[in-house]
Amino acid sequence: MTSLTKFNLRDRFGDWWDGTSLIQRAIFRVCLIAIFFGLPFLNNPIIDTPNTSFESVLFYPLVMFAVMAVGLNVVVGKSGILDLGYVAFFAIGAYTQAIFGLHTELNFWIVLLLGMAFAMFAGILLGVPALRLRGDYLAIITLGFGEIVRIIAVNTEAIGGAAGLTGIPSPPPIFGVEFSVQDVRPYYWLTLTLLLLILWGIIRLSHRKPGRAWEAIREDEDVAAFMGVETFKYKLWAFVIGGAIGGAAGVIYASQILSIEPALFTLNVSIMILACVVFGGMGNIWGVMFGAVLLGYLPEKLRFLSDVRILIFGVLMVVMMNLRPNGLIPRKKREVISEKIK
Amino acid sequence: MDFSILVSEFASLTFDGIVVGAIYALVALGYTLVYGVLRLINFAHSEIFMIGTMACYGVTLLLGISTDADPLVTTSFVLLFSLIVVMAALASGASAVVLEFVAYRRLRKMQASRLSSLISAIGASFFLTELFRILTDSRNIAFPRLIDKEPLFVFSSAYVTADKLFVIVGAAVLFYILNRVINHSKLGLGIRAVSQDETTSVLMGVNVNRVVSLTFLIGGILAGAGSAFYMVFYETTKANVGFLVGVSAFTAAVLGGIGNVRGALVGSFVLGLIQQYSSAVLGYNWRDVVTFVILVLVLLVKPTGLLGEALQRARV
Amino acid sequence: MSQKLLEINNLTIRFGGVTALNDVSIHVSQGEIAALIGPNGAGKTTVFNVVTGYYAPTSGSFSLSGEKLVGKRPHVIARNGLARTFQNIRLFGDMTALENVATAADGLNKSGLVGSLFGLPRSRRDERVSREKAESLLRFIGLEHRAGQLARNLPYGDQRRLEIARALALDPKVLLLDEPAAGFNPQEKVELGQLIRKIRDKGHAVLLIEHDMSLVMNVSDRVMVLDFGNKIADGKPKEIQNDQRVIDAYLGVSDHDA
Repeated sequence: MTSLTKFNLRDRFGDWWDGTSLIQRAIFRVCLIAIFFGLPFLNNPIIDTPNTSFESVLFYPLVMFAVMAVGLNVVVGKSGILDLGYVAFFAIGAYTQAIFGLHTELNFWIVLLLGMAFAMFAGILLGVPALRLRGDYLAIITLGFGEIVRIIAVNTEAIGGAAGLTGIPSPPPIFGVEFSVQDVRPYYWLTLTLLLLILWGIIRLSHRKPGRAWEAIREDEDVAAFMGVETFKYKLWAFVIGGAIGGAAGVIYASQILSIEPALFTLNVSIMILACVVFGGMGNIWGVMFGAVLLGYLPEKLRFLSDVRILIFGVLMVVMMNLRPNGLIPRKKREVISEKIK
Repeated sequence: MDFSILVSEFASLTFDGIVVGAIYALVALGYTLVYGVLRLINFAHSEIFMIGTMACYGVTLLLGISTDADPLVTTSFVLLFSLIVVMAALASGASAVVLEFVAYRRLRKMQASRLSSLISAIGASFFLTELFRILTDSRNIAFPRLIDKEPLFVFSSAYVTADKLFVIVGAAVLFYILNRVINHSKLGLGIRAVSQDETTSVLMGVNVNRVVSLTFLIGGILAGAGSAFYMVFYETTKANVGFLVGVSAFTAAVLGGIGNVRGALVGSFVLGLIQQYSSAVLGYNWRDVVTFVILVLVLLVKPTGLLGEALQRARV
Repeated sequence: MSQKLLEINNLTIRFGGVTALNDVSIHVSQGEIAALIGPNGAGKTTVFNVVTGYYAPTSGSFSLSGEKLVGKRPHVIARNGLARTFQNIRLFGDMTALENVATAADGLNKSGLVGSLFGLPRSRRDERVSREKAESLLRFIGLEHRAGQLARNLPYGDQRRLEIARALALDPKVLLLDEPAAGFNPQEKVELGQLIRKIRDKGHAVLLIEHDMSLVMNVSDRVMVLDFGNKIADGKPKEIQNDQRVIDAYLGVSDHDA
């Protein structure tokens, strides 16, 4: 059991990374990005998924989960706020694309920003009252919030009720690449680009004051306040950022899937994203993406797993918390003797 | 919004509210007792309830009682019902003890963060729901009608039927027994001691692990009994029945004051009534939203609930 | 007479039926190292908790350099020049030593998320200032070789000193130390005394809660004594040692000179 808890992937990679130069790092990053963009062209029976095309799986759940896991990570992993209603932001984004796409001529990019704005607003609406509460109560309220959004969607005929909305338009062509029903790859690339932008932003914030503030809040919120951290402001920011990311994902999702209904946005989705964050290592951005990919891919690859997916996620959460509370790739920092200003 | 039904059916809604409240109370007590000793919201308690309902169904299955069978004569009903209550209570109680041991005990020893315990609880909750969803093939499980539901008498608009009376009487008996245990037994003393101050309890020789296990057991037994009443009343269950009943019961516990046994009772009846009245006015669809809204409002406005216990204390 | 920095006037706080502090008036002046002593449960840490905004007093007031602080939130009070350490070490365990101190240093600047994200000039400057300040404080306290280590992996003595460095990052007018010598051996206590003097010489007044009498008597300019929520003495160390009430309540008669 001890060897299980001590094995640390991060340190192995970190050791190598510290030895590299700036040029080497740039090359590494470019190659990595290229690989991910090239994944849809991979035509290999070993990685192929039985029921759906690999490309389709790449889009949903893989890169979608990765985006949402990064978003939820800011809230749960970095700041220590347990949010059980994350799917609500995803739903708000999706419905924004559906409603504005169907009833207005607004440009897709504007709708994307609108979706994010609505989700952020929802984050504020929820956060301002709820973030004053202690952890367990906050968790319950977020769960209630997620459910309320779904139930409202079911009960409101104006936005489709239980049947939902169909005929959602796709994004306009970018650089000549068409977004159509037959080809899921442009959606994948679009979301991947979004993910890269988000990663850039989050990593920037993490290495600076906001990152420190969030971690301090997670470690000991009272003491953080004693040390001058504006805890409420930063908790709210975490919520809002998480919301914006979820909303953006929802907009793109709706534009690909063409029809949405409330049943797509259940508590299960919130739990799945949470499982990715928990499994991958709370607060660790690479870990949660790894968790998202693993937990998204395996049930698709091994179809029998798909039916018991939630079952396994449940067990996973219990097991992870009991055996490896810091995740598979913990957020343990690199212990370097001297810290340089980045 | 239609107030006419509220007025014309007031007695019926009130009576039903009390019946539903009694069922909620039995489940709510589990939340509140565990919260008292562990300061933990046992998310999976709703599944403990669900397991009870499945056990009830299992008993009828084993005894070969089909859903078409005629309702029973009173004496046979009482015997059968007692058996069902006992089996459900055992099933739920045992599940609760196992749950504590598997999902929470180690975290308690490690003095893990609250976040970790919550996540473990959620994982357990989802595991159990999914397990039973698979076992029941996502079906709604029908429960045979064991007792004749013809109204015994009518009071204003209220149809007083035997099953509703049973629920109320049965719940009252259980509350009485619980009160004896909490306030007049050594175990109850242990529970109250640990709820107030765990460290001192340990120093005074209280076996905290045992108290915790037994608290889970009691909560499970009550939920199991509640599930039996639920089955006789609603005559149906499914794998995720725990979610909505659990949310209502939890809201009731918070409304009354989490950690406070009397609060769980008061909150349950108040919530039961509110649910009935609001269903009449707003329509059944909005019932769960109303429950959530009440939960959110209570937590924001008066987190200590109606009976105003300080969040850090538990009194029984 | 040097200027009074921290002034606590007639502070009373009741928790339910218990009066934790009863009409307590305390002050700390500029350039002073003051100590707060008394038996356990006397209310010493409660004073810290009230004055840093964690508890609201039942009555009474307190101010820093004349500015009233009652009712202000903890992070506001921290930014206004009152920083503390804790009886049970409360570091940000999964953050490095440098990050722990930098977080407190951040408290003094007004940069926000937008600035950090887009690399606005003020934010970049604030970031550099925070890090440099954290590095220099670690050097001041002798922990620069631990900068990149996680706080929870540091040895006990280093953790205590890191807490002090973290509090200093707020440029406090008065530094509140809550039993900083707990668990130290005599040599470490001597070094701690020297550190406290260095801190005072750097321009921070110090209010110290301590049980180790030799440390208190050696390092303090003034000693205040609490007993059951009441202040029973206030004076120079030698006076306190000979005060009968204090001896009865707390010090007892020692076999050797403190």
